[in-house]
Amino acid sequence: STEDGERESSEDEVDDDDGDESELVDGSDQGSEQQYEESDSSEDEVAPRNTVGDIPLDWYKDEKHIGYDITGKKIIKKEKPDKLESFLATSDDYKNLYKIYDEYNDEEVELTKKVRMFIHRMLKGEAPHADFDPHAPYVDWFEWVDARHPLSSAPEPKRRFLPSKSEAKMVAKLVRAIRKGLIKFDKPEEKPNVYNLWGDDSTSDQKTKQLTCIPPPKQKLPEEEKASYKLMPKEDQPKLIPQRFTTLRSIPAYVNALKESFDRCLDLYLCPRVRKKRINIDPESLKPKLPSRNDLRPYPDSCYLEYKGHTGKVTTISTDCYGQWIASGSTDGSVRIWEVETGRCLKIWQFDEAIKCVAWNPLSGLSILAVAMGRDLVILNTELDTDEEQEYIKELLHLGDVIEPKASVAAIARWLPDEKYGGIMIRHFKNVSSIDWHRKGDYLSTVMASGETRGVVIHQISKKLTQKPFKIRGLPVTALFHPSRSYLFIATRKNVRVYNLLKVDEPVKKLETGMREISSLAIHPGGDNLIVGSKEGKMCWFDMDLSSKPYKTLKNHPKDITNVVFHRSYPLFASSSEDSTAYLFHGKVYNDLKENPLIVPLEILRGHSTSSNGGGVLDCKFHPRQPWLFTAGADSNIKLYCH
Amino acid sequence: MPKHYRPAGKKKEGNAARYMTRSQALKHLQVNLNLFRRLCIVKGIFPREPKKKVKGNHHTYYHVKDIAFLMHEPLLEKFREIKTYQKKVKKAKAKKNEELARLLLTRQPTYKLDRLIRERYPTFIDALRDLDDCLTMVHLFAVLPASDRENLEVKRVHNCRRLTHEWQAYISRCHALRKVFVSVKGIYYQAELEGQKITWLTPHAIQQVFTNDVDFGVLLTFLEFYETLLAFINFKLYHSLNVKYPPILDSRLEALAADLYALSRYIDASSRGMAVEPKVDASSSSQSNDREESELRLAQLQHQLPSSEPGALMHLVADNNKEVEEDEETRVCKSLFKDLKFFLSREVPRESLLFVLPAFGGMVSWEGEGAPFKEDDESITHHIIDKPSAGHVYLSRVYVQPQWIYDCVNARIILPTEKYLVGRIPPPHLSPFVDNEAEGYVPDYAETIKRLQAAARNEVLPLPGVGKEDLEDPQNLLYAGVMSRAEEAEAAKNKKKMAAQEKQYHEELKMEITASKDVVAPMVTEDEESVPDAMQIAQENADMSTVLMSRKKRKLYEAMKIGQKKKKASVELIEQRKKKLNDAQS
Repeated sequence: STEDGERESSEDEVDDDDGDESELVDGSDQGSEQQYEESDSSEDEVAPRNTVGDIPLDWYKDEKHIGYDITGKKIIKKEKPDKLESFLATSDDYKNLYKIYDEYNDEEVELTKKVRMFIHRMLKGEAPHADFDPHAPYVDWFEWVDARHPLSSAPEPKRRFLPSKSEAKMVAKLVRAIRKGLIKFDKPEEKPNVYNLWGDDSTSDQKTKQLTCIPPPKQKLPEEEKASYKLMPKEDQPKLIPQRFTTLRSIPAYVNALKESFDRCLDLYLCPRVRKKRINIDPESLKPKLPSRNDLRPYPDSCYLEYKGHTGKVTTISTDCYGQWIASGSTDGSVRIWEVETGRCLKIWQFDEAIKCVAWNPLSGLSILAVAMGRDLVILNTELDTDEEQEYIKELLHLGDVIEPKASVAAIARWLPDEKYGGIMIRHFKNVSSIDWHRKGDYLSTVMASGETRGVVIHQISKKLTQKPFKIRGLPVTALFHPSRSYLFIATRKNVRVYNLLKVDEPVKKLETGMREISSLAIHPGGDNLIVGSKEGKMCWFDMDLSSKPYKTLKNHPKDITNVVFHRSYPLFASSSEDSTAYLFHGKVYNDLKENPLIVPLEILRGHSTSSNGGGVLDCKFHPRQPWLFTAGADSNIKLYCH
Repeated sequence: MPKHYRPAGKKKEGNAARYMTRSQALKHLQVNLNLFRRLCIVKGIFPREPKKKVKGNHHTYYHVKDIAFLMHEPLLEKFREIKTYQKKVKKAKAKKNEELARLLLTRQPTYKLDRLIRERYPTFIDALRDLDDCLTMVHLFAVLPASDRENLEVKRVHNCRRLTHEWQAYISRCHALRKVFVSVKGIYYQAELEGQKITWLTPHAIQQVFTNDVDFGVLLTFLEFYETLLAFINFKLYHSLNVKYPPILDSRLEALAADLYALSRYIDASSRGMAVEPKVDASSSSQSNDREESELRLAQLQHQLPSSEPGALMHLVADNNKEVEEDEETRVCKSLFKDLKFFLSREVPRESLLFVLPAFGGMVSWEGEGAPFKEDDESITHHIIDKPSAGHVYLSRVYVQPQWIYDCVNARIILPTEKYLVGRIPPPHLSPFVDNEAEGYVPDYAETIKRLQAAARNEVLPLPGVGKEDLEDPQNLLYAGVMSRAEEAEAAKNKKKMAAQEKQYHEELKMEITASKDVVAPMVTEDEESVPDAMQIAQENADMSTVLMSRKKRKLYEAMKIGQKKKKASVELIEQRKKKLNDAQS
């Protein structure tokens, strides 16, 4: 029976196919419906026995019949086999497995093999027919070529023969656009985007309205690897330490190329640029051009003689007017006179106190020496002159009947005879710090540093008279007479004041040094220039015609300047300092007022011991006629420097 | 705020009136930050540093005049136009009106930067002066891969590559290249054009990688400007050679990626053609602008060149009496590799060497299609190779590493090749950008090169260690004669010791004499110079003139001296290390 079924089914299929083909050939549009109906009919050939239709079968649950057959007779329900029987039946005949109970018709139906295969395929999700190809190429059955007969017999509408209004509008719009030139048909002629921008002569100097553009700094140029990079501290190392590769092929790609390029771009548009002056010159070119030292000879440059004999620091020296003798005072309380050319010690006076200052009378026939120590000023007869002159000096130094001074002056200084060495002793009310002779040899100025307003007095030797010409402002340091005119220069701690001795009221001039503490003062023999030494190691040159401010400030000594001095005839000046050196300068003053003084450093004179316990050069003086310099050192020596 | 817009109550003058912060500027220009940045980049406007920062330290300040300058820039209006146009396109797209969008996109407003270039660089020299960054950037982008994500189009990369090749071809043709240095970052080149030193960096020919920490928008804006600038400069340069720009290249060579070679041939051909042209056909010169015709002629001219002819540059060497006056250095550069024939192996960086060798008058070929001559050419003198060993060895040629070429170029002489032969570790590649004299430290190899250079000039330099005091260069002596200096110092010490002993003896003698008397015998102290150090005295005498300097100058002088001392110390450190190393080795 199975074979029969199969045959039947195959026959069926063949029939189906045939039917399909015939219909295709027919080409009618009802074909698909027909096909559908036929396939339907082929599926259920046998009409159902029951005619109740598609109703819920529950309605006949309690009836004896299940419905009605085609003739209208009741179809009586069959007796149901009990479970055991049906089970046994299945176990007896395997075909019973393929039987299913049709509730509608109340009968058992056996599933044919074909149907079983259908079910199988459907369960797998395939098409039920085995030979159905879901992906078969689509065959278009409609003939698209002009059909002989139109599908519709309706006449052609009129609008198909009339021009469209909306299109006419569009066209008009386009035409208008074309006329206006909004639409162009030919592509715009391509102009070359590069051309000779700068022209042939690049001299055209067009001025930009732009603010001055500061060009960006160029990038750093590369260096090869340096061994020293690795020794540097981290922060000093360059960003990229060059590395050595032995071959070109071993150099890898640089990972940061883009990043660095980007950083550079950021720098270019985000970094504020400022033009900075960077001086790239040889430091030596900063030094002023000076004339050669050889052209400025003669000047003392080497130590020629040493005068030894003092046991304490030599604080002060002084030369006589011919330069034959030199007097020196020391902290051991002795004053000595030396012969310059031989270094022989001629005379010694011994005092109780440390000598502060000695000064030789500038007159040629009057070899007397003023010595300051403590509060006393002693005028000594050196007895180096001829007999005639000696007599005159003796007479001069004889303190006869002293005119009684005014009380105010008497409080400052008293004239007393000096019993020890037969001279005059003037006792002051405060310690004397410096003395200076007037050029005529009759007047002698004395400065008492702590004397305040009464710090400067002038003694007249011939009349044995003391004057206090003016009130001093500030603490006086030194006082000097003008070399040719009747002026007195008084240096207080910060300033230098110039007084007219004939018209004593107010200072003629005030020179502002700008220094912390003046230690010494020297006046050029011309009288218009002076130098001021300070305790901070600075020296100021004043040109009095020029200004009341220093013409030049020189910082030469690391320690205090003890003395500054001009040569009387040569264009030389010198400074001595506690750092055991003396600086020697060429200082030329021109007669032409337009020309500034020429200052050239010449030599650093050393030689005094640089012992740490207050060494140094305490005084320096020039020889009055020769370009020689005497220096008095704290190492109890006096040195003579010659050319 | 410009003066005429100054509202009441604002400052009239001073820093507050002269500078404005960036946000103020944005408000004033009515642009967003992006557009402002683009404008600044293109116009070359940068922030300034006011003496007094009125709004605080953390602001960026722009000069009011700069902002006013931007305000009147036509490009600003153009950018706004583009922005509104983009809105139109966007709208069309949003309404699904693809047709309109397409149409709109074809007619986008464009802008040109040529006016800005003229404005920023009024003369050609100005542009050359500021070319370093431009060249470096364009060279970098010429080797970058195109990327959609970063909005970097292929067209752009190709344009960059074309521009770089044109530039290199010109430099090579004019022999303007002066220095080359291969570093980790890439290859630095320095050329001299119209007296301007132009230095640029090309990356190594290795695939570049994109990093995430860069903003490509900024880079591309810069690149846009730089591309335009370089194109105009190339035009001007080619124009000066009488060569048509943009060049039309031999398509065969171009396809083989031998653009540079193709370009050099093109320049040669057209410059020769131009020179010949007036004689041949004076009447048709008016039509010579016609593009097709010139192309035709070009093809003919290129055909005329024998195919085996290398580099085409040798012709120029031959017929350069027409060339305009050349300086000494160009002549030296031109004839450095004269009569030498090079062959490049596959692994050496071809682009770089193809650029460098013709620039110095050499003939080059390479392994591959389109090469002017083959590897088996008998006349090849140097084979450049970067492998541990050469395969097939021709006896007629020298196999050297590429570093030899770069070192020769920097030294301007043909260096001996022994140290650079295949498989050897070559001597250190010294940077030509370091001024050894100023730096103070002269590496050994630099010294050797110097000697070779002198030998080439037929001069005689003193041998190191002999110690000639009369040589004008003290630096040279300093490093050459370390040993002799040490000996000298020892001798001086001995002498000093002797002098001290002598002095002591004198003093003792003197003490004996003056023991009893006060009178001091005059003592000649002419020769007592060793009391403080003699050197120190000399030094201080030299420094005497510092006394006369003004305070400001003196301070400056001292600062400079300190700097010099530091430099010297670092050099000494290197010297010491070198000495130690030598000692350890020997």
